Amino acid sequence: MNSQRKHIKQLSEPEIIELAKTDQKYFGELYNSYFKRIFRFVFKRLGGNEEVANDITQQTFIKAMANIAKYEDRGLPFSSWLFRIAQNEVSMFFRSQKNGYTVEIEDWRMKDLCTEGNILGYMTQEDQEKLVGILNEMEQEHLDLIELRFFQEMSFKEISEIYNITEANAKMRVYRILEKLKNKWTASL
Amino acid sequence: MRKFSIKQDDRPIEPTMEQIQRNQDFSKLYHDYERLTKRGKKPIYRDPKLYLLMVLIGIIALLLFFEG
Repeated sequence: MNSQRKHIKQLSEPEIIELAKTDQKYFGELYNSYFKRIFRFVFKRLGGNEEVANDITQQTFIKAMANIAKYEDRGLPFSSWLFRIAQNEVSMFFRSQKNGYTVEIEDWRMKDLCTEGNILGYMTQEDQEKLVGILNEMEQEHLDLIELRFFQEMSFKEISEIYNITEANAKMRVYRILEKLKNKWTASL
Repeated sequence: MRKFSIKQDDRPIEPTMEQIQRNQDFSKLYHDYERLTKRGKKPIYRDPKLYLLMVLIGIIALLLFFEG
């Protein structure tokens, strides 16, 4: 067992992925490498719900394990494939919550969003609540991008890898949503 | 459907190391995966209908063999 672990440690990630395609036990190495990042991602997207975050993270890795044979290295990090699965799982969870699921966000993140979107320089608590109300009326797909960029602090490159689009396209999508948000904010004044 | 709300306390939304370690368990994942993918694969002897059918086919094959 120890010699097997030593052997795995000497392998590169693409080699471990290839071995995991035929023997699921090798998947454990990938699980241990990426668990923390995926769990953290899901945990934050759920606003800190540990129990659900664990279920969704488990589901993400089960799906990854079941589909690893279909995984193709297209020059993107392996993590982007895992994040894409996790992203879908979180979206499915949100859709399943018919009575709504509330995600708590820190107020400074709203301030960051306003600064980057050029919406408002100084925000009172009332402004923040009003803006959250506008956000809540937006399409879920748009909120996903807002979340990744501002609440998960992902770079445009990381977002582009999850969505399998170019970095410029990711940037354009985020700024279009911010523009929409700004228009709605202005209309509400 | 997801809704946002502003957090009222100052606690950051970050999992602690303890929470991460508590939930990281590959053997449980592997067990769950096996249970999900192997379900429905009941051995023939545990399915009475299929077992009876196999016996019947066996008897017919034997009868045909002796008839010949």
